[in-house]
Amino acid sequence: MAQMPLLSLIVFMPLLFAALMALMPGNRGVRPMALVASLIQFGVSLLLFKYYDASTPALQLVEQHSWIPEFGISYFIGVDGISLWLILLTTFLLPIVVLGSWNAIEQKVKAFHVALFALQTAMLGSFVAMDLVLFYVFFELSLVPMYFIVGIWGGARRVYASMKFFIYTMAGSVLMLLAIIYLMFAARDTEGLGYFTANVLELYKLKLPFTADGLMSPQALLFFAFSAAFAIKVPMFPVHTWLPDAHVEAPTPGSVVLAGVMLKMGTYGFVRFVIPMFPEAAEHFGWVFLFLGAVGIVYGALVAMVQPDIKKLVAYSSVSHMGYVMLGIFAMNTYGMTGALYQMLNHGISTGALFLLVGMIYERTHSREIEKYGGLAKVLPIYTIIFFIVTLSSIAVPMTNGFVGEFLILLGSFQASKLIGAIAVTGVIFGAVYMLWMFKRVFFGEKGELVRDEKHPLHDLSVREIVVMAPLLVLIFWMGLLPNHFLKYSKSSIDHLMQNKDAYQLGVQTMGDAVNRSASVLPGTLLPETQEADSKVTAKANMTGAGVGR
Amino acid sequence: MNHALGISSYLIAAPMLALLAASLVPVMLKVFSGNREPHPFVTTAYGFIAVASALGLAITFLGGSKFGFHKALVSDGLALWASIIVLVSGAFSIFMMHDHVETQSKLFSEKVFLLLGSLIGMLIVVLSNDLIVTFLGIETMSLCLYVLIAMSRETVLSKEAAFKYFVLGSFASAIFLYGIALIYGTAGTTQFPGLMEQVGPLLESRNHLFLIGIIFVVLGFAFKVSVFPFHFWTPDVYQGAPTPVTAFMATAVKAATFVAILRLFQSTGYQHSVPLKEVISWLAALTMLVGNAAAIMQPNFKRMLAYSSVAHSGYLMVGVVAAGFGDSQGVASAAGIVVLFYLLAYSIMTLGSFAFVALLEKSVGQALQVDDVRGLGRTHPVLAGCMAIVLFSLAGVPPLLGFFGKFGLFSLAIEQNFYWLAIWGVLNSVVSVYYYLRPIVLMYMQGDDAPHVEMNKQIMTRFTLFGSAILIIVMGLFSSPILSALKSAILGRS
Repeated sequence: MAQMPLLSLIVFMPLLFAALMALMPGNRGVRPMALVASLIQFGVSLLLFKYYDASTPALQLVEQHSWIPEFGISYFIGVDGISLWLILLTTFLLPIVVLGSWNAIEQKVKAFHVALFALQTAMLGSFVAMDLVLFYVFFELSLVPMYFIVGIWGGARRVYASMKFFIYTMAGSVLMLLAIIYLMFAARDTEGLGYFTANVLELYKLKLPFTADGLMSPQALLFFAFSAAFAIKVPMFPVHTWLPDAHVEAPTPGSVVLAGVMLKMGTYGFVRFVIPMFPEAAEHFGWVFLFLGAVGIVYGALVAMVQPDIKKLVAYSSVSHMGYVMLGIFAMNTYGMTGALYQMLNHGISTGALFLLVGMIYERTHSREIEKYGGLAKVLPIYTIIFFIVTLSSIAVPMTNGFVGEFLILLGSFQASKLIGAIAVTGVIFGAVYMLWMFKRVFFGEKGELVRDEKHPLHDLSVREIVVMAPLLVLIFWMGLLPNHFLKYSKSSIDHLMQNKDAYQLGVQTMGDAVNRSASVLPGTLLPETQEADSKVTAKANMTGAGVGR
Repeated sequence: MNHALGISSYLIAAPMLALLAASLVPVMLKVFSGNREPHPFVTTAYGFIAVASALGLAITFLGGSKFGFHKALVSDGLALWASIIVLVSGAFSIFMMHDHVETQSKLFSEKVFLLLGSLIGMLIVVLSNDLIVTFLGIETMSLCLYVLIAMSRETVLSKEAAFKYFVLGSFASAIFLYGIALIYGTAGTTQFPGLMEQVGPLLESRNHLFLIGIIFVVLGFAFKVSVFPFHFWTPDVYQGAPTPVTAFMATAVKAATFVAILRLFQSTGYQHSVPLKEVISWLAALTMLVGNAAAIMQPNFKRMLAYSSVAHSGYLMVGVVAAGFGDSQGVASAAGIVVLFYLLAYSIMTLGSFAFVALLEKSVGQALQVDDVRGLGRTHPVLAGCMAIVLFSLAGVPPLLGFFGKFGLFSLAIEQNFYWLAIWGVLNSVVSVYYYLRPIVLMYMQGDDAPHVEMNKQIMTRFTLFGSAILIIVMGLFSSPILSALKSAILGRS
């Protein structure tokens, strides 16, 4: 059976391109090469459709190798319905970001693209990693290139923003690291597992003690350790304060990647790790996140409303939109979860598009203050139309992608709690208010000082900029009109998660299995017997450094 | 009782004897050629050959739990790997000494001799199976260092540093020796295996003299590895000493002494003394905090690194706590593995960071400030890139070597239920991110107008920095072979 390491290829190809670009002499030719490279990696990632089997929730295209057996760490990656679209979102946004930053990045072009492609590897890696330590490695590694992107190519307060971003996120994730280590020892000390492992599929089988009243039971503590890391990444109210700083200071491509993909690493973490591994705690403390999610929706919207800076407004709208995702996840039902996954993609597309649009106007005027605009519609008709469509998508008007996601989430959250659902619905209204009000102030009315400026007449979008926006606009309608094209790939995984959330397990398929459908493994089937036995033997033989000698 | 020493004793001592023999060559050359200093390169080559041959002998003859000199020395996996770390650090320090302006002088051959002498002391410490022998080793190591620090071209700071280190070090030695006396008086032995059997009963019967003896010995060690509250000399001495010597002190001294500490805590008997456990845990916790908090405020690069090395001693103490107060047999061996791995990682990172300081110091002047690295990312991209890797690794960013070092230590702490120490440790490493990233901010995000700083060649120092950056990446990604080698050496099976 042909075994092509497709996922590894997708994950590490950007890093390879980064290395190639780093070796190029000078800055010339970096941009075209980056564009071609990003298109190639998007093309390769489309191969996933060929090998991905939507009919099973099993983990597919699995690759498993031993990495540091002494610490129980393996290189174990795979894809299922939860991560599939996030991988594609990541690879899809890269060419757009490269093309969109054609003029935005003027200095150190080569270094910028190296950082961008390295970041791509880290993000993709965290979506496919099925070993907790491997996940942590990618999760943390993604901080470094983003830190440089914000810190080198950012605005005036870039150093402050990048430092805050790095330390905030790291502070959240180190406790998760300890929780991971604890889980690994729990796996070792559990009957039936009995060896030191960070393999997520094995850790799903752990039954961690949970007492309903006890905040101090292991499961609850682990739940909060993981949740803290992911909540900061999402970011959830009240730990969102790094986000507006980072967004405002980041260069346009940095903002697009940050909002489009990096924030999803947090919500993905909740779906992939928190809910299945700590089901009782998630059930029991889920209201905290429902509540904070709902507060975040309203708070983000209200704060966005009064922002004088368009980019900051979009940044706060992210807080609000990610609140919906959290709401959907912690509604703990199929509607909510489906909506949450869909909303992750929507947010990546519409907020990414908004950041790009803000960047485009900023390149022309070097100002993002709403006050200084006005009457843009008369001067920049194409820009206005595109901005309007994206605005509609962002406020979830029917027929756009945003509607499908928010509607499903609201359905789910009403099922979970009427009160929370009601609060969330007011968020929809506030969302419409701040976006449309901003739209009105920027595009209609009296011409603002920047728009009037005779010396610097504004030019409408260039062909390059339209090409950048076109795929996003197509997706906005495609995802809005035909959601099933997208959801059908995730359906079995979501159903499987929701039906078995108290005893979640995943089967695995390697590439050969997926091509040869007849040999496909049933949902929930564990590792094939021999493979499991083998891995146990090796893992036992290579017990952790910490556990040796007993 | 047979008083004759077998050949195996001499085989265990072979690395030290080789060092001793080879270290005399440059000095003798000088004596017989009418006090004419040989070419520094010749001296460096001799020094390197001495260390390399000692390393070869260590790898050949050490390991496998053999005793020598009537059980005064022990040769096991701990000793083998500690010797490797110490000797490699020594070799790179000699390289850096060859390049550095403060160590280049008419007395260069004497300096290499002293460094090799200090290495002999360190090997005695790591091989020692007896507290008295450990004391002898520590004194040999320290005496050479006192002189080495003072022998700088720079006049004021290094003399002050040497004097401070000497006075405080002698004081610590006295306490250490007193502790040994108390231990011998109560336990009746100073050899580690016998002592380890006595720890449980003596502490259980609340023998206070013994407890005080142990605490005194720990204090003596704490001084050498700059554990709070015995760390006050560290920034001054690290700053005053010539940078290559500082690198040597920060790596080799720490590695050797931590191995001795581990040997002292290879018993489960310590659990009977709750106060001792509290004291050592708090020492670990406060060392991390003090080191990191003080490093944040340092404008001087070397002082910042000095405080960072204090913080790393704190992390390493977590391993010691787990070894001594863990609840299972074999935890001491596990602690040996993770502590040695951390020491290896720490030594590589520290050598790299001091090599960086040495490279810049020469051009900027005596006290290198953190601000002096401004704009280096543009003017010296390779150098800055290597330093950035070293700094990220020190901060514990995966998948670099420093991350896996911390991973091992904190895993052990969690396994032995020292949750609060582990939590405290990772939170401290978040604090440390702040000052480790500061040079990176300055190198890459500021100072686009900074002037191009000329740097002298310093080939060997550059080599040290590049080597450490490459090792940090490679050994981080492929740490498995090293860990399994460590494991089989320490557990004595393959």
